[in-house]
Parts: sequence; structure tokens; C-alpha cells
Amino acid sequence: MSTEKKDYKSLPVTVEKPIPVTYDLGNLSVFDSNVLDKNALDSSNAKREESIKDLTRDNVQLLINQLLSLPMKTTTDSVSSTMTLLQLPEPTTELPREKPLPKAKQLTKWEKFAAKKGIKSKVKEGRKIYDEASGEWVNKWGYKGANKKLDSQWLVEVDEDVKGTEKELVDPRSLGRQERKRLIKKNERQQKKNLKNNA
Amino acid sequence: MIRTVKPKNARAKRALEKKEAKLVENTKQALFIPGQTSNKALHDIIVDLSALKKPDMKRFNRKNDIKPFEDVSNLEFLSEKNDTSLMVLTTNSKKRRNNLTFIRTFGYKIYDMIELQVAENMKLFQDFKAQTFNVGLKPMFTFQGSAFDTHPVYKQIKSLFLDFFKGETTNLQDVAGLQHVISMTIQGDFQDGEPLPNVLFRVYKLKTYRSEQGGKKLPRVELQETGPRLDFKIGRVHTPTADMVKEAMKRPKQLEPKTKKNVERDDMGDQFGRVHLGKQDLGKLQTRKMKGLKSKFDQVGDEEDYLNDRESELNVTEDSGDDSYGEDFTTATDIQVDEPAKKKQRSN
Repeated sequence: MSTEKKDYKSLPVTVEKPIPVTYDLGNLSVFDSNVLDKNALDSSNAKREESIKDLTRDNVQLLINQLLSLPMKTTTDSVSSTMTLLQLPEPTTELPREKPLPKAKQLTKWEKFAAKKGIKSKVKEGRKIYDEASGEWVNKWGYKGANKKLDSQWLVEVDEDVKGTEKELVDPRSLGRQERKRLIKKNERQQKKNLKNNA
Repeated sequence: MIRTVKPKNARAKRALEKKEAKLVENTKQALFIPGQTSNKALHDIIVDLSALKKPDMKRFNRKNDIKPFEDVSNLEFLSEKNDTSLMVLTTNSKKRRNNLTFIRTFGYKIYDMIELQVAENMKLFQDFKAQTFNVGLKPMFTFQGSAFDTHPVYKQIKSLFLDFFKGETTNLQDVAGLQHVISMTIQGDFQDGEPLPNVLFRVYKLKTYRSEQGGKKLPRVELQETGPRLDFKIGRVHTPTADMVKEAMKRPKQLEPKTKKNVERDDMGDQFGRVHLGKQDLGKLQTRKMKGLKSKFDQVGDEEDYLNDRESELNVTEDSGDDSYGEDFTTATDIQVDEPAKKKQRSN
């Protein structure tokens, strides 16, 4: 064992190649385009595995020499462990992507119109509103929303617009609900239309 | 009407978002599929190959009746369903013994395929009884043979194996994580017209020894084979179309480094910035301060009209071409030529 160790100490760490090898350090790879000996690599050759291993070893030695001369960074995670990190360059070998590049989001009909007219989108005010009567912050819409206030009142004023039409006798509380549902449906229709137009 | 998949709960929504195309992509996942004619040897091989690809892989246990060079719809379906863009299918027949079909997809469509048949003298992990390396480490690659740079089939093999095993893309690599190397060797050089020589796939573990010649920094590297040892004979090949290659090789513009304008370095390494100033408003120029020019002495109304008149008169005389300046004086045009070359040195 001790003789073997001495052996490694005196062995060289440099390798000479007729054609210099090329590297892609970002992918930790080395490309050797030197002439390969056909007989040494033939499956009938008893020393075949040895020759492949020697060939690979030389190339790995070259790669390791390159890698260890890259800029290094030492980090200490905890008290005992330290890590030495190599800063790799960008990979140079072009490999295909997995999926096409993500497409930019298509503008809706309103967004196109707003851009044309120079209308800026409103600053978001949040969905809570202060309710003076109860002294609490309530949702503008949704669960216990402020837009449903009228629905639970015992007395509701009939809207001026409704007066004199056939809807005059309908419960004004249910009219408010109908209006909200109509707006939701309308919005869904618009969303679908935008999807269809942008497809 | 286009069908849109709307996730019904938050988990499904997250899963769909994970599948979406991204600017910086995740590591490609691999799927190992035993074909209808798969056998014990092939099973052992894909167990070993999947161990090298762990944890970015899935392995099927049941056999699937897929013939990739006849019908790709099954493969495309499995690719989309499992969100895997790398697939390995194993088949065995009299004509193509112990055949592995390596498939890559792009956007759930077949990108390229190659059949590699494993020759007789294969060896597995277990045959070496060697200490192996940790799971999920980035391997090093060596490619021996000039054909990897010149011949289209070997180029495809190089691209495939780099893509398959390279793992996570990082710019920081732990030195202690450099533990194993995947070696690909072409079995000898060849001329055009000769049959394509085999590709020899070997995996070695690294052993480093302190060397006197390398000093403290560079070690002497020795290798120990860990397996699998596979000799690949090349079978049928499916190459991607030019359009698909173009689309797949696109790099996002958003990730390109921005060019810094107006900053340059000279031969000495000093950094200069160029600052473009707007046209100076001479009306606001501070001239000599005198008591008589104070604004409280300004005559309101009449005076402004008077000034304007004078200015227009002056312009008229200039336009008439009767230039009162001599040629020795610098003219306005001369000054403008000099202006862009004005450099302002930065702090360093």
C-alpha cells in the first residue's frame, strides 16, 4: 500500500495531447478529438478496458486541472462544515429546450382600447371598505360584501328608473341580486370572447 | 370553441403552473418504459441507468406495447402526462437485440429518437462491487472521438447524453461533488461508407491523490470503474426537423445580459462614462449681479415687448448674411463638433 501511495506522488498531473482538447466547463465536460486506436478498442483485445480507462483518465485529469483553476468561493454553512464552490462559466454546448419559450400574455379587447386611448389602469385600492354603521372593515364584494347591503333591509326604496315600468312591483332586493348575476355572466362572456379572439 | 382547462382546486392549479413553459427551465425529467418485448437484462440496464439519473426520473414497471418508429402518439401522450421530455424504451427482437430507444421531446412532440443496442459484454453496477457515489450529483463528461464533433449521428448521441445526465444547471459547483465521470468513446475512427462503430459507455468514480508536481492545488486523478459498462450499437435514427431545431434552440431575450451604454474602458483599464447633457437654456444663465438688475427694478409690461422686438430684429440681420464676426472667431458650429467628445471621468 505504501509503495502505491509513493507511486501516485511522483506521477505527473499534466497530460500532453497532439490535438488540444476542448472544454465545456459549464457542463463539466471535455471533448477529445484525437485519433483513436482501433485495435486497442476492439472487443477482442484483452487490454481494451485498460486503454479506455487510461484515455478517460487523461481527459479527466485535464478537465480537473481546468476546473480547479476556476475562481473559487468558500462558504461556511454551520460551525464545522465548509464548502468550496467553483464558479462555473455559462454552458457552451447548445442543447434543445424542453418546451417552447413562454408567450407574452395577449391583451384583452379593453386593454387594447385603453392603450389606444391612453387610459391608465386604476390604482388598486384593495377590496375592503369601512362600514360606518358597524365600525368594521368589510369586503366590497363577496362574503358579507358591502354591495349586498340592501338585500337584508326590511325597508327598501324603489329605484327611480324602475318606477312606471313592469318591474315596479318586483321585490327590489331580488332586482339587485339579478343585476349582480348579470354582470358576472357578462364578464364571463367577455373573458371567453377574448380567449377566442386571441387563440 | 376552444377548450380551456380550469383547475378546480389550488393543488391542481400549482401542478398546472409547474408544467407550463418557463423562461429558465427545470431539469429535464426522464421516463423509463419497458416495451412489450423487454427482458431481464434490459430491466437491469434501465435500473442502472435510472440510478444515474436519480432523482429526476420515473420508471414504469409494466410493459407497454409501443413501437416508436411506427406510431409516436403513445409516446407523446406519456410525455405530456408525466411531464417528461426524456424517455427510454426497451425492446428486444431477433433483428435488434437488447434495444434501448432514447427519445427526446420538445413541447410534448417527438424531437429526436435513436436506437442503441447493447452488445454482449455488458456489465452492471452489481458486477463491479465498487463503492459508488452519492445520488443526484452532477457528473463530469468525457467524449473521445472526433466524430462527436463532425458526424451527425454521433453529434446527436453527444447532445442526447449530455442532455440526459447533466442534471441541474448551476453556476456554482461544489468541489466535493465532483465524484464521477461518464465516458463516451467511439470504437475507433472510421471513413465514410464504413459501418458506424459502436459507442462505449463507461462510468468511473474519481480518486484523487496529492501529487508533488501539482503542488497543493492540482491532484493526480485515478479512476475506478463502477458500471454500468455498455457498448452501444447504433440502430435506427430519427432526426428533428429544421423548424423544430430552430424553435428548440431559441434563447430567451430577457435573460441576455444588458449592454451598458456610454461606459467604456481605455487601454489603462480606467473606466469612462459619457454623459449627454441637454441644450443649455441661456435665458437662465446667471450673469454678473448688480443692484440695478434686481427684479424689483423690473419695468412691467412694456419692457418685455420691447425686448422681443429687439430680438426679432437681430434675427433678421443675421439671416441677411451680413455677418459681423470675423473668421478668427469660433462660430457656433465649431463648438457643436467638439461637444460630443467631452468626457467626464468617473470617480475611480
